[in-house]
Amino acid sequence: MRHKTSFADKLFVFSNYTFFVLLGILTIFPFLNLLAKSLSSEAAVISGQVHIIPVDLQFGTYKYVLQDRMFANAFKNSVIVTVCGTALSLFMTSLTAYPLSKPRLRGRKFFILIFVFTMLFSGGLIPTYLLIRNLHLINTLPVLFLPAMVSVFNMLVIKNYFEGLPDALEESAKMDGASNFRILFQIFLPLSLPVLATIALFYAVAFWNDYFMSMIYINSPELKPLQLYLKELLASANNVFLQLDKIDVDRAMNVSPQAIQAASIMVATVPILLVYPFLQKYFVKGVLLGSVKG
Amino acid sequence: MRKTLTILLLIVAMLAVTACGGSGGGNDKQGSGETAGPSTSDNNQSSKNDNNEKKDPLSGEKPVLRQLQPFDRFDPNAEFTAKFLEEKTGYKSVYEMLPEEMANEKLNLLMSNKEKYDILRLTKDQFFTLAEAGALEPLNDLIDQYGPNLKAGISEASWEAASIDGKIYAIPQAGTGNYASSSLVVRKDWLDELGLKLPTNLDELYDVLKAFKEKKKVIPLVWYGSVLQEIASAFGIYNSWDVVDGQLYHQSEHPRMKEYLAFMNKLYTEGLIDAEWPINTGTTAIEKFTSGKAAMMKLAWWSAPSVVGALERNFPDAELATLPFLKDENGKAGVGINTGITYFIAIPKWAPNKEHAMNYMNMKLEEDLFKELVIGQEGVHHKVEDGKYFPILPAFDDLNNASYFLTGVDERVYSTYWQARVRKDPILYNYFEELQTLAEGLFVEDPMSNAPPIQSISEHAQKLAKFSEDTYMRFIAGAESLDNFESYLAQWKADGGEQMVNDARAWFASK
Repeated sequence: MRHKTSFADKLFVFSNYTFFVLLGILTIFPFLNLLAKSLSSEAAVISGQVHIIPVDLQFGTYKYVLQDRMFANAFKNSVIVTVCGTALSLFMTSLTAYPLSKPRLRGRKFFILIFVFTMLFSGGLIPTYLLIRNLHLINTLPVLFLPAMVSVFNMLVIKNYFEGLPDALEESAKMDGASNFRILFQIFLPLSLPVLATIALFYAVAFWNDYFMSMIYINSPELKPLQLYLKELLASANNVFLQLDKIDVDRAMNVSPQAIQAASIMVATVPILLVYPFLQKYFVKGVLLGSVKG
Repeated sequence: MRKTLTILLLIVAMLAVTACGGSGGGNDKQGSGETAGPSTSDNNQSSKNDNNEKKDPLSGEKPVLRQLQPFDRFDPNAEFTAKFLEEKTGYKSVYEMLPEEMANEKLNLLMSNKEKYDILRLTKDQFFTLAEAGALEPLNDLIDQYGPNLKAGISEASWEAASIDGKIYAIPQAGTGNYASSSLVVRKDWLDELGLKLPTNLDELYDVLKAFKEKKKVIPLVWYGSVLQEIASAFGIYNSWDVVDGQLYHQSEHPRMKEYLAFMNKLYTEGLIDAEWPINTGTTAIEKFTSGKAAMMKLAWWSAPSVVGALERNFPDAELATLPFLKDENGKAGVGINTGITYFIAIPKWAPNKEHAMNYMNMKLEEDLFKELVIGQEGVHHKVEDGKYFPILPAFDDLNNASYFLTGVDERVYSTYWQARVRKDPILYNYFEELQTLAEGLFVEDPMSNAPPIQSISEHAQKLAKFSEDTYMRFIAGAESLDNFESYLAQWKADGGEQMVNDARAWFASK
């Protein structure tokens, strides 16, 4: 029997679509604006002539940005930190989550409590800095991913997912004589691809976007990751007049043009945007179908 | 069995980690003790030098010097000037930077951890903080022994600005000379259209702005910030500190500040200044001006090329005229300038290579080396015409960031050399020259430009400035009545303003 769509239903669908389309346009507008600015002439940009269409189309800004050694360096640093960080973090986090998901672990509740405690309280900036310094990690690239290897929140997500997997799997594997490590790597992890992909994405975005850690721990210009480099590029342009004392006129003369700033942002953002859709498919595929009978 | 083994292994691992951490910390302490050792023995050696002249701390291989610099966008280690300096002086320098944001916090972190920098390039407030905290090495002896060029090239007044109680704590790097930085510019084509002349005082300015609003229907004057120097100076307010009738005043306490705010409020309520003034930024103000929405704005000479370029693109027939500096009711005009030190180059107390650092900085001020450092080689990077220096492009671009590497300048010649930079761009140069011609003879020096670190000022100046800025903005926009000015002033004084003024006056009187 056909379900008749009432007027109310139609109205609902229509309003829904309209609302979300408008929201989508609102969200994408700044991005398009930035894209347009990066392809426009400086004169058009600073006089506010650019909206979503480039004015005085030029590609010189991209040429400049892609040839800028500092930018390439910063990009490389960010990629290294993100790739190594995500891989390492994923490994360590699942390693932590697995034993905590087994009810037979003695003191399980205690350990979970300790982990959660660290989510609420932290030592503060100075003690953490001293700790990092004593570990001789200051001004090195690993400082950007080693201390952040296990995020308790992500670990709890994986733990919950492991708990949701049927006990029958582990029992049958144990009966066949598998060790705990084997069970983890060859059974649990392959079945957890959706959650691993999600957590990997969380980590990747966190590492890619970080700039606070690099601001505190990195001193050498060639170790700066991309976000820090970008932020400083943009902020330095605005702060020339804000000094109370004698202005450094040489710096004022060298402020980066706005079109180049826009191009820098585009080149930094587009890669991570391109990665997102490829991870989508892991959320959709249901891998658990058919693994357990009855 | 396996279980007990694993538990045992775990316990052993944990113990090992804590043991490593403990001994690591211990080692660190020993390490810092050891480094403290050589520096004290160095001092012993240098004092022996005065007596025996046996061991020269400068002998032996030149060490790698570690410099901490303020933020900038490029990598100094890869710069042309860095390689040039290494070649010419024989010293390799490794440059590290403070971040753009939270620079002072990061600096404090590094200093409290006694990071082994040899040279610190500090801004004024950073210098004051570190000097007062006792983190900086007094340089008097080092300068006497290894810094003859520095002594010759830097003036007494500058040295004084970097000293506390007779001890010099940094090499003062003076700015590029006394130059006016900005003025008001107006659309000359519109002035001509309305048959108006360039205003020379406040009344004429008021009339011009009114004409723009009524007849041209544009924003007459656009900019941001509460104290617009070009208008405030017509009230005798030239700098953050001014001398009025022989008495030193802070800007907030200036006898005519209330008058200035009333005038700005009048302009605001009559729509003669941008309604969005309180929320404007430099970028939005320039946008409005270059898109033809405003008639007048404040232009700094270093922004001239981009602004003129943008205006030309949108309005090829547009013309700009620079306003002369406005006269007060007595016919007097003035341009406030700060003649102070831009950067303070200090050596921390725990620096491993103090003598070499001083020697290095001294070498940079040698006549030929200094010239080449600033403007390159004659015939390659610059040429000389009538005793003036002109850049040769594109070679000169290699030196765009050269000033970043300065640790003290030869004040006798730097200003002349530096002019080559301004001559890079014709628009920049024309505007710069015009500005200086207009400002000639009108400079009013900030009397506190070269004041030494004064505790109450370092403590309160920044936050009081923000408080004043916010309050003035409210007065100007009419959000608060100017009748409350006295209560603002009372609060300003109570929050540290009174203390600042008293200490400043004490120093000023003792000069």
